[in-house]
Amino acid sequence: MVRVSRFADRFGGRLGFLGLALAYAILVIACLGSLADEGELTLGRNPLHNLIKTVGEFARPSFLDVWFGKPNLEYHSDDGTLLRIENRQEVELGYLAGLARATWTTVRIATLGSLLGAVLALPLAVLTARNLAASRPLFWLAKAILDVARSIHTLVFGLVLVGIVGLGPTAGILAIALHSMGSYGKLFAEAIESLDMAAIDAVRSVGAGPVQVFFNAVWPAVLPQFVSSHLYLWEFNIRDSTILGIIGAGGLGLLISEATSLFQWGRLSTVLLVIIVLVAGFDALSRRIRKALL
Amino acid sequence: MSRPCVSLESVLCAVHGRALLEIDHLSVAEGERVAIVGHNGAGKSTLLRLLSGFLQPVHGSVEVLGRTLDRPLPPGELRALRVEVGQVMQGIHLVGRLSALENVLIGSLGWITGWRSWTRCFPANEVANAEGALRAVGLLARADTRADRLSGGERQKIAIARLLMQRSRLILADEPTAALDPSAASDVCRLLVNAAANASLITVVHNPSLLPLLADRVIGLKMGRIAFDLPPAMVGEQKLVELYRPDMGSNRTYWGASAIPGSEAGVEAFS
Repeated sequence: MVRVSRFADRFGGRLGFLGLALAYAILVIACLGSLADEGELTLGRNPLHNLIKTVGEFARPSFLDVWFGKPNLEYHSDDGTLLRIENRQEVELGYLAGLARATWTTVRIATLGSLLGAVLALPLAVLTARNLAASRPLFWLAKAILDVARSIHTLVFGLVLVGIVGLGPTAGILAIALHSMGSYGKLFAEAIESLDMAAIDAVRSVGAGPVQVFFNAVWPAVLPQFVSSHLYLWEFNIRDSTILGIIGAGGLGLLISEATSLFQWGRLSTVLLVIIVLVAGFDALSRRIRKALL
Repeated sequence: MSRPCVSLESVLCAVHGRALLEIDHLSVAEGERVAIVGHNGAGKSTLLRLLSGFLQPVHGSVEVLGRTLDRPLPPGELRALRVEVGQVMQGIHLVGRLSALENVLIGSLGWITGWRSWTRCFPANEVANAEGALRAVGLLARADTRADRLSGGERQKIAIARLLMQRSRLILADEPTAALDPSAASDVCRLLVNAAANASLITVVHNPSLLPLLADRVIGLKMGRIAFDLPPAMVGEQKLVELYRPDMGSNRTYWGASAIPGSEAGVEAFS
């Protein structure tokens, strides 16, 4: 027995890790094997041809037509009669205007949703921060609310809310707020937990009252972290809200679903470019602000 | 040497039935500089906590600057006491995110109240005082540096500048030179004594070479009791060796938990 336990002492950690690695390998093999067994691991008919075709259309985003499109594109029926003449430049200009409105809607959804989520999360974060030691029932209640909010995807919230408040940005705002509330609560609670108690003691030791302690020791330590998490999740929510339109909650997602339904890859390419520019721009901005704050 | 600024009479402090400090009589006159030496757990920090109102004695009377600290003070009076009792604590206690100057200005929170203290828009004359305090500790050039970017010695000096700002009548310093190199340590001690020019100074210190610099009276604590109370010149190596040597013979026992009624109620956690 003694020999066994000594062996376990020396190699237990490594054996445990080996066991976990083995279990992981078995899981991966099981996933792959069962999918292959069910015949689901196929790439469809002539994937290469489809890929080239799609990439080709993606490479020609629709907004180029604003300058290079034919001003009088003629549509003919099969027997050659002229159906109508379309000014491609005007059509695509109109599409861009719609795109701009949708982008603005997405930004509005993300901004208001983030703010609402942050406001809702603040009291819950105070209750779940371990160093503030809220009463146990309140702690567990707040923690449960945050965990539930975090584990339900924005899209699911959106689908439910569209049924409740109807189509449009309101559902999007609420969906973003409810889901990101979970993440906000976690980040805010961590900021409160990392509070420097020595700083609080320092301010208290000169005879400061509770309000003074809050403004001179707690606020300066917590505010930059709050702002930093807010910018981070705001940026995350801009990405998230671009997809909300697919379920009818307004914004860019509506254009994405429209373009994919009609196989207009050129237009999808335009929409995705706008999203990339939007997200990258916001990321650069928020990173700069966060760097200045911390 | 007028009336005493600290006086203890038959004081017993205990936590969970364990006696930490037992002092029959101790008084510190105004303007006196006292150093406290003793082994770990001798009751040095307990004594300082007692004097700053963080801890109450199980019995006996404690008087600090005319206030009786036998039982927990109401919050308002406790704050008034802390304005008058400046503290330099063991871990360096600064607000890391505020600048050196703002940390010094915190010393004025005792009398600057209301929106000015909330927004840290301190009046110009207080800012000038704070800059004077920083100049006195030689750190005016670092006024705008954040406290968490300063070195250990610099932070301790900022804490002393805050004491200057606070203009307290009694200064309690708990190992202010811990974790400082020898030259920074003597620097900090010199500044501390200057800061206490118009106040009484009680310092817990381990390094015997700093005693003459810091004190005109050295109190040795052993197992919670006063072992000696002498001027620094009389505290030779022999005395200190005796003080720090573990005492096998006397083996003073701790009281059982039941022996001291109400001992747990006598301890107030950080308020």
